Amino acid sequence: MAGREAVKRAVQQVRPILSVDREEARKRALNLYKAWYRQIPYIVMDYDIPMSIEQCRSKLREEFVKHRQVTDIRVIDMLVIKGQMELKETVEIWKQKGHIMRYWKESQDPKPTDFLSKFIQGVN
Amino acid sequence: MAALIRNLGVRIASAALTAKHVVPAGTAAFRMQSTAPVDAKAAEKPTVRKPDAAARSSLSDFGRYVAECLPKYVQKVQLTSGDELEVLIAPEGVVPVLQFLKDHHQAQFTNLVDIAGVDVPCRKYRFEVVYNILSLRYNARIRVKTYTDELTPLDSACEVHKAANWYEREIWDMYGVFFANHPDLRRILTDYGFEGHPQRRDFPLSGYVELRYDDEKKRVVCEPLELAQEFRKFDLSAPWEQFPNFRNANPPAEEVQPAKAAAGAKK
Amino acid sequence: MIRAPLVKALGALGSPTHQIASRAVRTSAVLAQTPAKAPEKIEVFVDDIPVMVLPGTTVLQAAAEVGVEIPRFCYHERLAVAGNCRMCLVEVEKSPKPVAACAMPVMKGWRIKTNSDLTRKAREGVMEFLLMNHPLDCPICDQGGECDLQDQAMAFGSDRSRFTDINYTGKRAVEDKDIGPLVKTVMTRCIHCTRCVRFASEIAGVDDLGTTGRGNDMQIGTYVEKLFLTELSGNVIDLCPVGALTNKPYSFVARPWEIRKVDSIDVLDAVGSNIVVSTRTNEVLRILPRENEDVNEEWLADKSRFACDGLKRQRLVAPMVRMPNGELQAVEWEGALIAVAKALQKAKGQVAGIAGQLADVEAMVALKDLVNRLDGELLVTEQDFIKGSGIEVRSSYLLNSTIAGLEQADAVLLVGTNPRYEAPLVNTRLRKAYVHNELQIASIGPKIDLSYQHNNLGADPNLVKDVCNGSHAFSKVLEGAKKPAIIIGVDVLERPDGAAIHATISEYCQKLKKPDWNPFNVLHNSASQVGAFDVGYQPGIQAVLQAQPKVLFLLNADAGKVTRDQLPKDCFVVYIGSHGDNGASIADAVLPGAAYTEKQAIYVNTEGRPQQTLPGVSPPGMAREDWKILRALSEVVGKPLAYDNLDELRARLESLAPHLTRLGELQPASGGESVAKPSISISSTPIDVKQKELRDYFMTDAISRASPTMAKCISAVNKQQRQDEARSCAAV
Repeated sequence: MAGREAVKRAVQQVRPILSVDREEARKRALNLYKAWYRQIPYIVMDYDIPMSIEQCRSKLREEFVKHRQVTDIRVIDMLVIKGQMELKETVEIWKQKGHIMRYWKESQDPKPTDFLSKFIQGVN
Repeated sequence: MAALIRNLGVRIASAALTAKHVVPAGTAAFRMQSTAPVDAKAAEKPTVRKPDAAARSSLSDFGRYVAECLPKYVQKVQLTSGDELEVLIAPEGVVPVLQFLKDHHQAQFTNLVDIAGVDVPCRKYRFEVVYNILSLRYNARIRVKTYTDELTPLDSACEVHKAANWYEREIWDMYGVFFANHPDLRRILTDYGFEGHPQRRDFPLSGYVELRYDDEKKRVVCEPLELAQEFRKFDLSAPWEQFPNFRNANPPAEEVQPAKAAAGAKK
Repeated sequence: MIRAPLVKALGALGSPTHQIASRAVRTSAVLAQTPAKAPEKIEVFVDDIPVMVLPGTTVLQAAAEVGVEIPRFCYHERLAVAGNCRMCLVEVEKSPKPVAACAMPVMKGWRIKTNSDLTRKAREGVMEFLLMNHPLDCPICDQGGECDLQDQAMAFGSDRSRFTDINYTGKRAVEDKDIGPLVKTVMTRCIHCTRCVRFASEIAGVDDLGTTGRGNDMQIGTYVEKLFLTELSGNVIDLCPVGALTNKPYSFVARPWEIRKVDSIDVLDAVGSNIVVSTRTNEVLRILPRENEDVNEEWLADKSRFACDGLKRQRLVAPMVRMPNGELQAVEWEGALIAVAKALQKAKGQVAGIAGQLADVEAMVALKDLVNRLDGELLVTEQDFIKGSGIEVRSSYLLNSTIAGLEQADAVLLVGTNPRYEAPLVNTRLRKAYVHNELQIASIGPKIDLSYQHNNLGADPNLVKDVCNGSHAFSKVLEGAKKPAIIIGVDVLERPDGAAIHATISEYCQKLKKPDWNPFNVLHNSASQVGAFDVGYQPGIQAVLQAQPKVLFLLNADAGKVTRDQLPKDCFVVYIGSHGDNGASIADAVLPGAAYTEKQAIYVNTEGRPQQTLPGVSPPGMAREDWKILRALSEVVGKPLAYDNLDELRARLESLAPHLTRLGELQPASGGESVAKPSISISSTPIDVKQKELRDYFMTDAISRASPTMAKCISAVNKQQRQDEARSCAAV
């Protein structure tokens, strides 16, 4: 019974979001990457952020690599959609400088890990 | 324990309900009626509105008719709170059903009042999307309900109702339900760069991040949230309802039977 | 007030000791307890649900069995039935009038209707009459939000009012009484349920409260103007269903819906009462009792309830080190830890630790491990106890009959203890047994008022010998009793001949022992004591003073028993604790610790029941949890302890004493078979107790000494006494 359920789930037809196969999803992701990549010089200029173009590109790469293990086409699509929306927000200068700088999380100190420094800082 | 008491309460309430029908109103009960004046004058302005029987029957007739016209999409028709009609449809049917209800001469539900989302994480399709529509012509309101999960897109109702544009953006922002063919789907309430969908049940009430103005950097910075001791404890028990067994619960939703079944039942 | 009346009702039905709560029916209660044969159950119907109950069950209890809670004001499970509020009226089929459910025993085949028209009408009528003379001051009433009258008016009252003040005379108004610094009275709000009167006379044993006048002129009061002074007075606040009696220190402080509640344990005496700590904005606002049938039922002693404002005063908020000029100066944690570590390295193993009254088990284990790692051995408790092998057997320092068990005792001998002030909730159990179980009580020690009659045998310690060799008259009573108990106070065991008294009684108890009953009891008064013995601490500070250590740890040791001149000049004293009291004043380094409302920590009560406190607020300033201080210190010294978090520490605790981590459970201690014969004999110094009067009760530890409310209590007691003296002079 459980086996049949699993098979049913595996072959279940789901409604695609945008892409119908892996290749298409991959293309969309690459396109998004390229679009961001091309926009980075303008973003750096427009927002006047204290980051170089190279730093931004490595951050862009980091953000994409964060999701490298995702294989579900619909999840990839969803991430691409969200990425596109974010790109639009950035390019249209709806965002502000702080929003862009949020990617670097620079005001966050690394949490202490050993007992003594945790004790002295007063974090549990 | 609380749950146990509540269960008991429900059982007793239902028992009391049946008992009321069995026991004839004796003379004592007649003599000692409630001091709240329940005479004819007060009944004109009751504190609790009673469902209107005429509206009930016409709404259930209409629901039955919709179910007959659109058998492919309509899965269930029910009345809640006595006289509120709900049409439960399959996710593919959003556009045709809303179009039908808008354009049908005997319905004319031309106003989309609201779109609401409901998140029930234990379900397979965890999100419910509820369309509240209004017919000015017939002075009637009904609800159309459908369901989806995190990844299945719903068709946008924008082509039927222009009003759906912002409502669907709201649902997208709050629940993360994707609407296909939406002309301009983007965030509407949350801040740029906000991650997550705050109305989902698994999104913590306090959120994940907090913002503050950093005087050195001269801008707002975003940091992961750190809860003070006071906010780490959550008290989930309700402080009210001391007497669960004397509570008046809402009546459950009643299903409107399809015409054939209703006719069969009459025979 | 903890409002789970339904649960309470169910629980009360289950407990065999709680059957009839009236002294008037004392003999019948005893008869009912003798298990002649189980009486046949009778069937009644509550809202058409059949239920089988014992004959004599009231309608209200029968309804509670099927989960229907009948509204009530005057009825309380632990008090005698009064039946005067009439709120519990229900309809019974074929009965001409509605019956009062709290007082009416069920008859066979009764059909009770708890929600019929007649019942609802009756409730509405009662409600209307009550509200007619109740002020509409909910917005300025402290009971608002946890008021039975509010809740029941919402649920059962009419939705409109017929009250019109025709002659503009106003509602009934009653003058407020001044009954002490703890309980605030607004007597106009009183609905005359008489719960407070019944509590005072039945549970607390002081007939101070009563009613005067009748009808519309009825008033609750103290007859003459005087203070309601007992160690249990705070409980009338919880009992009061309206806002007539409220918490004076807490008045106008907070609303129940804006505070957060944390379940915790009280540590101001050795009973380990279960409490709920109410907090808001990182501040403890008040403490309420939490129900635990085995420990505190639902009562709480005044010190435990009202001393919580001491948690905000005299706190140590930053580490301090004594400078060369002799002054303590606040430093950063690094500096303080390094200063202590340097002293520890110089000490070369001459390290000792003293655990005080409020030390938790975790901190004591951490201190023990640290001292052992530094090649030290000396770990003692500040509270003295018998010397020698006495504490090797666990049962020799526990209250073996258990607190709940004392209710069933029928003969009790108190040796050098005043349970009324050392452990007020043990005393309520004894009083309960005295009232319902014909308990005979005798005491050896000074003449004291225990709130019940007892036979004072005298203060001569040789009386112990007489009783124990059977030559005293009370020996007959003890030997003839089904469940005898001897309770020894720690004040006796502190004496030089304490070991002899302990051994004599312990030997006699072997004789009195029953298969499931151990009559040997020690009543501690410090919360840390049993836990300290369990993890291997030795009693008494003499050993430490003799050893002349180079570094001395004072873990919450504030009793002032150790003084600077008893210690060598170069001894480095480290104080770890929450309050700036005696301990901190003699310390060379002060490391601020957390109080019991700020840490998750285990305490073992006098019967050996481990229970844990939970953090309600975070420690003030730079204060840290005590065991973490010791763990951090161990790392700075270079001998890190093997645990980084509480779970690992608890695992260590479990390997040391497995019963300590089974929270809330009582581990029956094996009987003390091997009693070493004492080498010393009993001297003739009269037996004394430290807490004789109410004024001695209020300040016994660092927290209550810092509490302004407790100070007010003492001055109120003194004032009352002066007044009484003046009055008696005038009478002469």
